[in-house]
Amino acid sequence: MNLALAAGDLRALGAAGRMSFRTLRRYPANFVGQIFWPVMLPAVWVLMGQAYSGGGDREAIDAFAARSGTSGVTVFVFVGYAMYMWLSTLLWGPGTALRQEQIRGSLEAVFLTPVSRLVPLFGPTLTNIVWVLFQLLVMGLAVWLLFGVVLPLQGILLTLLVTFAGLPAMYAMGSLFGAAVLRFGEVGPAVQFVRGGLSLLCGITFPIVMLPAWAQTTSAAMPPTYIVAAIRDVLLKGATPLDLGPTAASLAVLAVAFGAVAIVLFRVLEASARRSGMFGRY
Amino acid sequence: MDELRAALAIAKKDIRNVSRYRFSVASSIFTPLYQGVLPGLLFGASFAVGGKAVGLDKTIGTADLAGFIFMGGVISGLVATAFWAMAMSFRNEMEMGTLEPTWLTPTARETLVIGRALGGMFWFVFSTTAIFIVGVAFFGLRLRAEMLYAVPAILIAIVAMVGVAYLIAGVVLSIRDANLFVDCANFLFSVASGAAFPILLLPGVLQPIAYALPTTYAMDILRQQALGTRPLVDPAVEYLALIASTIVLIPIGLWAYRRADGRIRRLGTINQY
Repeated sequence: MNLALAAGDLRALGAAGRMSFRTLRRYPANFVGQIFWPVMLPAVWVLMGQAYSGGGDREAIDAFAARSGTSGVTVFVFVGYAMYMWLSTLLWGPGTALRQEQIRGSLEAVFLTPVSRLVPLFGPTLTNIVWVLFQLLVMGLAVWLLFGVVLPLQGILLTLLVTFAGLPAMYAMGSLFGAAVLRFGEVGPAVQFVRGGLSLLCGITFPIVMLPAWAQTTSAAMPPTYIVAAIRDVLLKGATPLDLGPTAASLAVLAVAFGAVAIVLFRVLEASARRSGMFGRY
Repeated sequence: MDELRAALAIAKKDIRNVSRYRFSVASSIFTPLYQGVLPGLLFGASFAVGGKAVGLDKTIGTADLAGFIFMGGVISGLVATAFWAMAMSFRNEMEMGTLEPTWLTPTARETLVIGRALGGMFWFVFSTTAIFIVGVAFFGLRLRAEMLYAVPAILIAIVAMVGVAYLIAGVVLSIRDANLFVDCANFLFSVASGAAFPILLLPGVLQPIAYALPTTYAMDILRQQALGTRPLVDPAVEYLALIASTIVLIPIGLWAYRRADGRIRRLGTINQY
């Protein structure tokens, strides 16, 4: 009986993934933004880096390398912005999926089905990987074609490995945000605030050592910090799969922690909603 | 006189509308700070040697990193006002269903942009002042009295941006996915004006575009006066180029706007988006 229920939930999870994939295909104009921003945002920061370094002044570049561990400003920035784009698609997509269902009036209907509540919580995250991989491809091409940086093959493969290792933690974080925003209501400002905060904390545009000590401690509890650092290590310092072990372990712990908090928060909200009938209101 | 009254009424309406959303007002001050200024400062500081931005000094002739970033924010804010408050607000009215009634009033269509420009400028001055106060209090921004010499350049740039707003409003009225267009165009315009980095760092093929924008000269004049940076070209030539590009942009913008007006009235698409 339990196996039959689990199989049913898995089918529903697959259906939720197909639904979000179909929605994604219906708005092809979004692809324009998914090419424009992953190229233009980091490109501008690379040029800012050239301005701040005096066009590659040795002293300035050495100072940057002492703080970031690398003199490869271009790849440093592009990797950071890969995470920024991932956060954007995560927070605007799966992070707001429950809220979108609520606005469309379909959230109550979904909750009347007998599937596990985890299906609507985690289902929309399944197609997010399409954007993440697409953006990585676009940015890899941009860094090569615009700035002449050829990424090492082993680094590219390990970047994909790090991305997949980071998926559960990132999605757990996105689901926590999705559950929280359901209660908070205002999606746009919440996305801006959370994305802005994580961008500052996780070393996206500047080395983490530039932050005060308390902020560095906070950043250690955020999955993007580990993913960004690991991708920079494999692309810029030639880190091997063995070197990535501690990162994978940290990400696994954070996935469990964020996932558990998301599930608990979602259950609390659901119980509250059953009493107040708030799922139909926004 | 009637048109002036109408423009002031539109500005008053826009100011009142925005002031009702206090979270948005606060966000217009804090979002540029934590998404632009703070990361920019920390990124720039990571190149500093002994606490001095030697690289920036070599690039533009000043090591005043905070001043460079905050002055760039002024032109970014001006560009954003033209694109979002003046031009994109037509799409917002479309979505609210109030654009068609507005179009039926005897007010000249051109006045609709002027009114939005006045309202937008109010919020531009408000948020720039607030950001400067935060900058002086928390980010080491030092304002020199000489920056007031750049006020004429900023005023001319504002007039030029009204021309740009006409042009962009014409596009907004004509296409369906205006949000993506305005977002991307606003970003490119701001970057090509040198708000984030000197335009000399742009790829060669893009530099002629940057030199054709009035905001490029306003940006450079502002940084010269406020920070003592090296000018792109002779400041007198910059003023001439600023005035010339403004004179060219106004009729081009009006032409595009009037053409879009004629098109949506002919096709009946004023409520379609």
